[in-house]
Amino acid sequence: MARITKNKTKEAPPRKQIRKSKFQADLAPSEDSMVRALKTELQLTSNTDFLSDALALFHWAVSERKRGHRIVSESATGERKILVFPHLERVAPELALPRIDIHWTRAELENLAELASKRPAEPTDALIRAMRH
Amino acid sequence: MAVAIRHLEEFDDVESFDCGDEPLNNYLQRYAWTNQQKVSIGVTYVAIDEAASHTVLGYFTLATSSIPRDKLPKKYVRGLPPYDLPLILLARLAVDKRFSGRGLGHALISEAFKTILRVADDVGCRCVITDAYRDKAGWYARYGFIPVEGAERDGPQKMFLDIRTIRAALQQGKK
Repeated sequence: MARITKNKTKEAPPRKQIRKSKFQADLAPSEDSMVRALKTELQLTSNTDFLSDALALFHWAVSERKRGHRIVSESATGERKILVFPHLERVAPELALPRIDIHWTRAELENLAELASKRPAEPTDALIRAMRH
Repeated sequence: MAVAIRHLEEFDDVESFDCGDEPLNNYLQRYAWTNQQKVSIGVTYVAIDEAASHTVLGYFTLATSSIPRDKLPKKYVRGLPPYDLPLILLARLAVDKRFSGRGLGHALISEAFKTILRVADDVGCRCVITDAYRDKAGWYARYGFIPVEGAERDGPQKMFLDIRTIRAALQQGKK
């Protein structure tokens, strides 16, 4: 007589609840329009999908730069442009100079911003000589 | 005397260095190597006599920094790229007083500018900032550094030089 054994069905492990984080950002109107235009171009319907793709791309860019790789775009005619993005450059291994923070007063920042947004000054004779040195 | 400029090395003779300014001597003797190799907050370049290749005649230190865009006054940020403002800090520059008057300061700042341009070409940078002693501000002004006004108290004078001005100098120097 055949014994019929009942296969005990294994109980499925309790489903782990995936905790999702909420991400909220205050965007300037121009950035908001950029997000909308990109979503349309990429045929993405939700902000979650948009953020997820953007994150994947940014993560890839950071990991490439960390490995010392440069991110280059090449046109059909072979013209190349190298992406230089200050935040990415902080992880680049060939960056020889370390980074430090400087204390600035509000008035100094105002003056610095004014200087940096002006047309550059003409080089002095001493500077030209220094570059010939 | 044939002078070479290179990175500070561990066994360079820094103890005999004397530029006449205690904080600048002290930085080279106590902190420059640690800051370069261990905590990585500044890279020091030294001028050495090729005949006595570990005796430091002068030095300068460079580091990078940036200013968050949201810290800058709104009326100016329109004229700037939409990122933090990246800059290079010419943190220190000094010449041993036994070798002053021989053009070492000029050689050091020349090398600093060339290094700064290489870094700016690689990683992007808008300007150079130096914290100059007020009595030395005139020396930096000769190279085109412009005082940044608005310090809270007397002390070093922050000075600004646009990277594009250095690039223009390089081009003009080739003519």
